[in-house]
Amino acid sequence: MERELTGAITRSFGRPGPVDAMLRPPCEVACPIHTNAQRYIQLVAEGHDARALAVVRVTNPLPQVIGRICPHPCEEACRRGDVDEPIAICNIKRVASDGARAAGLGFEPPKIEFTTGKKVAIIGSGPSGLGAAHDLALMGVRATIFEKQPEPGGFLRTGILNYRLPKDILDEDIEYIRKMGVEIYTNADVGRAVKFNDIMAEFDAVLIAAGLSESRPLPIPGADLPQVLLAVPFLEAVNAGREVPGLGKEIIVIGGGNVAIDVARSARRVTGGKVTMVCLEADHEMPAHAWEIEDARAEGIEIVCSQGPNAIMGEGKVEGLQVKKCESVFDEHGRFSPTFCETELSVVPGDTVIVSIGQMSNLSFLPEEGPAVNERGILIFDREQCTTTRRGVFASGEVVTGPGAAVNALASGKKAAIAVARYLGVDVNFRPEPAAIGEVPADVADKVKKAPRRRMPARDAGERLKDFGEVETGLDEVDGRCEASRCLLCGSGARYSQLKCIACLTCVRVCPYGAPWADGEGLGGIDPDKCQACGICFTQCPAKAIDLTVMSEEDIAARTVAAIADSGNGELEFGCWYSQSRVAPEAAAVSLPCTGRLSVRLLLHAFESGAKKVYVAVCSEDDDGHFVHGHRQTRAAVADAQKALGEAGLDPASIELRIEPELKCRKAT
Amino acid sequence: MITAERKNFDEIRRMTDGAQKLLVVGCNTCVAVCLTGGEKEAEILASQLRLARKQDGIGGSVETVTVLRQCENEYLDSISEQVQKADLVLSTACSIGPQGLVFRYPTKAVVPAMNTNMMGYVKEHHVWTEYCVACGFCIIAFTGGICPIARCAKTLLNGPCGGSQGGRCEISPDVPCAWQEIYDRLAALGQLDMLKRILGPKKWNASNSGGPRTMKMEGFKP
Repeated sequence: MERELTGAITRSFGRPGPVDAMLRPPCEVACPIHTNAQRYIQLVAEGHDARALAVVRVTNPLPQVIGRICPHPCEEACRRGDVDEPIAICNIKRVASDGARAAGLGFEPPKIEFTTGKKVAIIGSGPSGLGAAHDLALMGVRATIFEKQPEPGGFLRTGILNYRLPKDILDEDIEYIRKMGVEIYTNADVGRAVKFNDIMAEFDAVLIAAGLSESRPLPIPGADLPQVLLAVPFLEAVNAGREVPGLGKEIIVIGGGNVAIDVARSARRVTGGKVTMVCLEADHEMPAHAWEIEDARAEGIEIVCSQGPNAIMGEGKVEGLQVKKCESVFDEHGRFSPTFCETELSVVPGDTVIVSIGQMSNLSFLPEEGPAVNERGILIFDREQCTTTRRGVFASGEVVTGPGAAVNALASGKKAAIAVARYLGVDVNFRPEPAAIGEVPADVADKVKKAPRRRMPARDAGERLKDFGEVETGLDEVDGRCEASRCLLCGSGARYSQLKCIACLTCVRVCPYGAPWADGEGLGGIDPDKCQACGICFTQCPAKAIDLTVMSEEDIAARTVAAIADSGNGELEFGCWYSQSRVAPEAAAVSLPCTGRLSVRLLLHAFESGAKKVYVAVCSEDDDGHFVHGHRQTRAAVADAQKALGEAGLDPASIELRIEPELKCRKAT
Repeated sequence: MITAERKNFDEIRRMTDGAQKLLVVGCNTCVAVCLTGGEKEAEILASQLRLARKQDGIGGSVETVTVLRQCENEYLDSISEQVQKADLVLSTACSIGPQGLVFRYPTKAVVPAMNTNMMGYVKEHHVWTEYCVACGFCIIAFTGGICPIARCAKTLLNGPCGGSQGGRCEISPDVPCAWQEIYDRLAALGQLDMLKRILGPKKWNASNSGGPRTMKMEGFKP
């Protein structure tokens, strides 16, 4: 099992909530592929980009792609949002991959041995197909992808423009998967270049991950005019650098989703002319992400909301779009069921209309004997088993799930990979669905230091419209580290052993956040919702019943030993990993989430391990530092350790507390 | 709860320097709760001893082990292997711990790392106050629930001495006068009449003045 107990948070009995549940940070739970965001954020905070990328890669076969275009449901769930603003998790993922890339690390895939002898064909090389192929390779199953386009990537290549996802970045992520031994045949249009049944005969299983490759047309008067285009072929042409016939200078884009935004932003770049989006939804109802809408508006795109297309005006050529007032989009059950005021008509002027109201699959390549499609032309599919009606044929991604984010398609492909592997009799690791810890209680949130979220820098709107170069330029190193340092390390704090606890109440008395609890009957525990991982309870517990999940005593001790071995002079600096500089640059460093977790035992251990001099760095004389009472605890531990050293005949000044206001707290700046 | 404080480090050194294989035994009950002799403190002491011995060129080893209570045979039995390997055992328990070790391991040298000082109430974190001296015959029913034996410096039974000033004891302004506290408490309870009753001479025969006391319970025995 991937998740070992050491990484789990155990909520002790006697309290409401899941009994002995393995509670994970909500970012990880909300992520469709359950990436251990906390771990890679922590590594970025410490400056280990390549190791962070390796953590991303454990679950994410397209780290660079997803680090740019993901709608990041993790951030919606982020508990930092209970304090001030969520962590910019997606941007930090990009910091990890950009940093690793710059260092030339993390792009060599593991050597795969296809020991199972099984072969799977995958139709489609979008995120779902690539994700499935990648995971199958890791399970020792050789996957071959059939892609009808000249280059792999599916909608990532044909639908998403370079300004959001540069092609070389996509190429790199795909190349990594190729290097794992995944074969990708391009210009391999199943049904034409190669027959479905031939694939069935050749391979042990087939996965249909063909995506939604067709635009949904709009059956209104005038839709057959030559200047009425569909989103998918338009984006394909722009992406391929082809000229788009029929494109004028005054573009109307019908639709309010993310694809429509991409269409509008591309049209704005290609034509340099006026672009107006028309959508049924009111401003706040638009299905496109808020930040996409903001970007589009920044680029001068006008958005006309609450209007339904009635007819495309013009004789022989488009002259405008007649729209009618849309009164409501959804019925009382929240289902799409628009109602219009048929008399309230107006005209949006324009010479070109691009319809971007949704996509559909093209399953014309399927043979008569199946797999079967339903009366609406949708593949019949078992959501849990990822199976179709034909034995050995599986499906994943948007072709069966409908439109969504790339990360959802990826998740679907990964799920299908497991289903396929099981079908092939391959031993598959089971990974249980994680459960999330709860919200940060308001009284605890009040005590957490506030720190502004680092904004993603972007090229100026006027500048970026001139080309298809990437709009977002990526957080720089300092901002990336600072942003990562805002992470609350949810659920990674104090771990409590009911067996070792002597119910002495020390933790209850010393915790600044009120996380430990005890009842009158000797039962106790530490509420992971409240714990901020400062470590004070750990240093104070007289019975060693408390340790920390991230940076445990054992971990700190091991890092201490390694650092002393590395240092030429036996000097060691314990510091806070939120600071950007050091007090003793000549000393080997061990960074901790809080120097408050330095216990007397750990300080003495450093000397037992050969340290000649130990510096403990704090940034102010305040009691608190990064955590409430963090510095107070540090000072107490240093004083106690100095006394202990003196008693043992060593120089108490061998431990030096250095207060250095110049140490900038990354979180607070 | 029994409270104990660690002895002066030099005194501990003098007791232990001759040992090649020293075992520090922590106790995870009273002395852990009073933050002086539990697993954490036993490990800190062992670490200090190792550093000091190394500094002075004393070889050998200093190991630690902690039991839940050193006043119980079964817990002491559980560390038999470590105790047998050691040539000296240093106990961080109250004095019952080392004596228990001596009883259990008659041939093993055992020394205390602690001075046992009292039975205390935790007034606040890190502060313990003596409330009971185990005199063997409790009289606090007559004194508003406040023990003059433990809490009056002169163990007076019938009111304060002349050293009670402004509610404080003459031994220190930090020490409240127990009889002032008794008076205030009885007044609050409306029981000042209790003070009209003279408490006769204290029965000290139940205290420890007559040799070690033994408590035996009747009832089921295996």
